[in-house]
Amino acid sequence: MDIQNQQTVKRKKSFFQNETGLMWQSKPFLYTAGIVLLLALPLLIKNSYTLHILILSLLFAVLALSWNLLVGYAGIFSFGHHAFFGLGAYVSALGSMKLGISPWLGLVLGGLAAALAGLVVSLPVLRLRAAPYIAIVTLAFAEIIKLVASNLVDLTRGELGLNGIESFDKIGPISFTLAHRENSYYLILLIMLLTVFVIYKIMKGPTGFALKAIRESQDAAESLGVNVTRYKLFAFVVSSCLAGVAGSFYAHYIHTLTPTSVMNIDVMMQILVITLIGGLGTMIGPIVGSMVLVIGLEYMRFLGDYRMLIYGALLVVVILFLPEGFMRKLFPKAKEL
Amino acid sequence: MGVLVEQLLNGLIIGSMYSLVASGLSLIWGTMKMLNFSHGEFYMVGGYLMYFTNVASGMNPLLACALSLVAVFLLGVLIERTVIHHLLDKPGWDISPLIATIGISIFMQNFALRVWGERFKNIPYYADGNANIAGVEMSYQRILIFVVAIVVVVLFWAFLKFSRYGMALRATSQNRDAAAIYGVNIYVIYMITFGISATLAALAAVMLSPIYSVNPWMGAPPLLKAFTVVVLGGLGSLEGAIIGGVVLGVLESLGVFFFSSEWRDVVAFTVLILVLWIRPTGLFGAKAW
Repeated sequence: MDIQNQQTVKRKKSFFQNETGLMWQSKPFLYTAGIVLLLALPLLIKNSYTLHILILSLLFAVLALSWNLLVGYAGIFSFGHHAFFGLGAYVSALGSMKLGISPWLGLVLGGLAAALAGLVVSLPVLRLRAAPYIAIVTLAFAEIIKLVASNLVDLTRGELGLNGIESFDKIGPISFTLAHRENSYYLILLIMLLTVFVIYKIMKGPTGFALKAIRESQDAAESLGVNVTRYKLFAFVVSSCLAGVAGSFYAHYIHTLTPTSVMNIDVMMQILVITLIGGLGTMIGPIVGSMVLVIGLEYMRFLGDYRMLIYGALLVVVILFLPEGFMRKLFPKAKEL
Repeated sequence: MGVLVEQLLNGLIIGSMYSLVASGLSLIWGTMKMLNFSHGEFYMVGGYLMYFTNVASGMNPLLACALSLVAVFLLGVLIERTVIHHLLDKPGWDISPLIATIGISIFMQNFALRVWGERFKNIPYYADGNANIAGVEMSYQRILIFVVAIVVVVLFWAFLKFSRYGMALRATSQNRDAAAIYGVNIYVIYMITFGISATLAALAAVMLSPIYSVNPWMGAPPLLKAFTVVVLGGLGSLEGAIIGGVVLGVLESLGVFFFSSEWRDVVAFTVLILVLWIRPTGLFGAKAW
């Protein structure tokens, strides 16, 4: 019995990984293939609806990646990430509608506004240790932002929402209107790749080591002289800034905003499910999770009214079989970055 | 002045129901160390079952309530057995219950939407009329809610303190390995904990449905309130959950009185953040059960 068990374990191991590592599992190959595929997709897909779904999945990948920086790497269980997304969207949209600020500048302003909000929220959060407390404080903050957006009717038109938000201005011949979705696709792809780059750089550097040390044991890190407050603050600000940039892109891509559409708790749930199904604390996990979930959910539309019902049941089944997410199952050897 | 007193009393009464929902959530955190995102859906199912038994089949409210609560208890036990039980002690336990309970929540919400329809359903008051106590008008329904809350909290407390199951439950929450060594079947305890927690949520729904209404989305606000209360009072503390619930209810009514109903939750959440800023473990710290 025991020997048999060992054999199955061995066989499983050799299927997923061997001493030299399978070619398709080598990192440079995977990364290059992934980027080439993402770059080529708009050339292969002319259907604007499919392109729209891809854009959304890249957008959620940015959100999941930035949330993952906070939760997966720094161990701060934020549950208010959707607020930064919404804040970025509203700041950028209102800036262009009321003050005539260019949406390109809006990308920066949205990110800055979200970063500033992140700085403010992190102040009470820094004192908290247990995940549920952090989750509730950040969620409470997100609810406040959402309620303010829907109550300040004079400025935001409340639940009626902002309509007719400008597209990104033309750059030379490149237009970003809905007729030219492929350009928006490349823009969000660029934002996503920048997000990956920023997080990669942070995690490879001394800050990354400090963050991981804090995640594993705050007390140990502190006693070794890691400035816990500074690093946590830094992770919070970077993460919310990235979400704000994503929000700004969303506003100028979708052209319409309501508090519920960008700041409902559903958005947060979606980010959470994407990251956890993909693999918390991995770099590729949030991206793959976002592709699988956003595209999967769209292609479940044939189920009609029963789509969400089946989606809920599927989540339960997936987590029963893969309690640690896709990426950790497929690449058990891959070190978390 | 009369209006303020009335508002405060209302806050107290709604708050007592927050306490019930929150103590269920806190119970699960205390014993199993997991957050249950499907808690609001047990509340929703409780409301629907009450509607079916009391309104659609015309049963006596007491019998209808008892039937609904038993059914929700069984549903809670079933879900613990079929889903949560299999995630226990596996790698990823810190995150897997989140996804599992979110999945259950989405499933149950859409089940209600598809099978029971999206029309809002109303349940009549269990007690008609108003009482006039020292110049303050108060409907019997609201008084009934408050009385039920007090009775249930006392019963629940006595159950935890004196019954064999209650003691086993507290032992499991204090140290599950030690409890297991002393012969407590912790898996049965988890199952019962889940059932009781679901029942508490359902009871709150039974009592509140005549005031609000029954619909597929009714579970989301109480879930958010319950999380707030649990954290406000201090996770894993029963006193914290109960007092936190009342505090939140009163805060909300003060928010309505001094600002307006749209700003009610903003006031409540701001106070929550300030409280945690000053006392990072909530009002009652993390006392054992």
